[in-house]
Amino acid sequence: MEATAIHDLLKQRFGDDVLDLVDDHEQGAQVAPARVAEIALALRDGDDLDFDSLMCLTGIDWDGYDETGKGKSVAILGYDESGKPETSDRVGEGDLGVAYALYSHRHGHKFCLFARVPRSAPELPSVSGVWPTAAWHEREAFDLVGMRFTGHPDLRRILLDDEWEGHPLRKDYQMPDVWGEVPMNGQPYADAKWGEDDVVVPPAPAPGGDA
Amino acid sequence: MSEALSTHGWQDQDRPHDMHSELLEINMGPQHPATHGVLRLLIHTDGEIVHKVTPVIGYLHRCAEKIAEGCDYRQWMVYTDRFDYLAPMNMNFGYAVAVENMLGCEVPERAEHIRVICAELQRIISHLIALGTFGLDMGAWTPLLYCFREREEILNIFERLSGGRMLYNYFDIGGLRFDAYDGFAEDVLDIVNIMEQKLGEYNTLLSYNKIFIERTADVGVIDAADCYAYGCTGPVLRGAGVPFDCRKDDPYSIYDRFEFDIPYGEGEKGTIGDCWDRYIVRVREMYESCRIVRQALDAMPDGPIMSEDVKKLVKPPVGSLYTRTESSKGEIGFHIFSDGGSKPFRNKVRSPSFSNLQVLEKVGPGLMISDLVATVGSLDIVLGEIDR
Repeated sequence: MEATAIHDLLKQRFGDDVLDLVDDHEQGAQVAPARVAEIALALRDGDDLDFDSLMCLTGIDWDGYDETGKGKSVAILGYDESGKPETSDRVGEGDLGVAYALYSHRHGHKFCLFARVPRSAPELPSVSGVWPTAAWHEREAFDLVGMRFTGHPDLRRILLDDEWEGHPLRKDYQMPDVWGEVPMNGQPYADAKWGEDDVVVPPAPAPGGDA
Repeated sequence: MSEALSTHGWQDQDRPHDMHSELLEINMGPQHPATHGVLRLLIHTDGEIVHKVTPVIGYLHRCAEKIAEGCDYRQWMVYTDRFDYLAPMNMNFGYAVAVENMLGCEVPERAEHIRVICAELQRIISHLIALGTFGLDMGAWTPLLYCFREREEILNIFERLSGGRMLYNYFDIGGLRFDAYDGFAEDVLDIVNIMEQKLGEYNTLLSYNKIFIERTADVGVIDAADCYAYGCTGPVLRGAGVPFDCRKDDPYSIYDRFEFDIPYGEGEKGTIGDCWDRYIVRVREMYESCRIVRQALDAMPDGPIMSEDVKKLVKPPVGSLYTRTESSKGEIGFHIFSDGGSKPFRNKVRSPSFSNLQVLEKVGPGLMISDLVATVGSLDIVLGEIDR
């Protein structure tokens, strides 16, 4: 089925909650965030739709996005010349978003759903009940972008440590100077300043050993 | 007690009365030879039987997606090498195709053919490692050593092509970094001839070995419905009896020109979708890869290796695109969001092992611990791409 036809079908069923057709490189639809799970279910179970596979779920921070198409979006923070993490007072404002890339094995058609939520309340209904594979992808989006998914069975960090602060894929994320005892300023771990007591001298090999 | 337990013949009444029966929580990994990398499996067991398994990942996380936002499209190619370090050519291929699709540029014929040859040779050696380490998990030491023997020959070809033996950075947006060396075709033909002969030996040594079949048939069954639901792709999906392959069903590059079959699991030794099916799909795929390489060698023309309409600083038009290609582990996808500039606004990597590993939470409960090892081995995961 053509993406325009899928869009029309969704439009018929969900009315104004399905916004315009997205048609740049790939085709899809922007949808109202509150009804993502319902729309996902309709896409999976619809007779001519059969989107049985969620190929990819992407969390995006739209902060600082250049709408003019000139590619002048806000640069991410990195390290300055001395190797220290750069800092900025800029607080992110833009929306957060999620993109769902769908595929139907039966019909061989693709479709992409896009949802955008305000940064102050980044909540979306979880689609892990529709496609179980979304569970880990949503955990990743929570971990790296800071999206919250209501109804998710086990929403916790997946790639980063449980104690990590902040969400690295946010555009206003600032790298910490130090994390635990590990210096994050580009200094090699082995060269870090240690206290006298921390130095562990390996025992000398026993004389006559076979080492 | 759950139904799964009774399938192993273990009944509650078999348990001695004075035996403690609470669940034991143990860690397999992060440093464990059977987890194929730095993976930690948190297992709740009742004796030998697994009740719950929770994979804990992220030990190799480098946030390559954040790095992608800070460097231009070409610079990031080196990071794709580091995802699946056992199949970097496939990763390079996926990313190159993703950006080229956004640019809408043509890749020269010669470059396309060399790409396909490299990708298929890479698939062969990646499957060789899968085969060898899976044998190792099952207690067979010898096949691993033979697998590395053939792998070495192909690595020599890659070294002469790109300069690297593990991380090649050989593909470029719009073509290849270097042309093939003189005698490349002969070298490849030699190794394909050797491979086709040796594969028969592997079959005798491992695939149809009675002990190996006993250990893998009917173990860790993943059916097609689970594969669709959990996003399993590659040999895991094909092992479940679904002949789906991006090279055929969602063709990219010049794969539509070649004749090859898609092997899939038929439950020859047990149930469809068991460990043996997933294993044998990989072995048969190696034959098919050899077939593709032969055809690509025959058709390889002379000519340029770099597209002329790709500028040095690549700037895809505004918009987003999800492109997937078939790596040795499954579907590697890149969802790239462009703002029209020289750096991607967002570059999401959908790695095959990430989804393939997730299904372990579903199939793990009810298995014996040693069968869990077999199941993890048959999924053939690489932690570099899971953690990215």
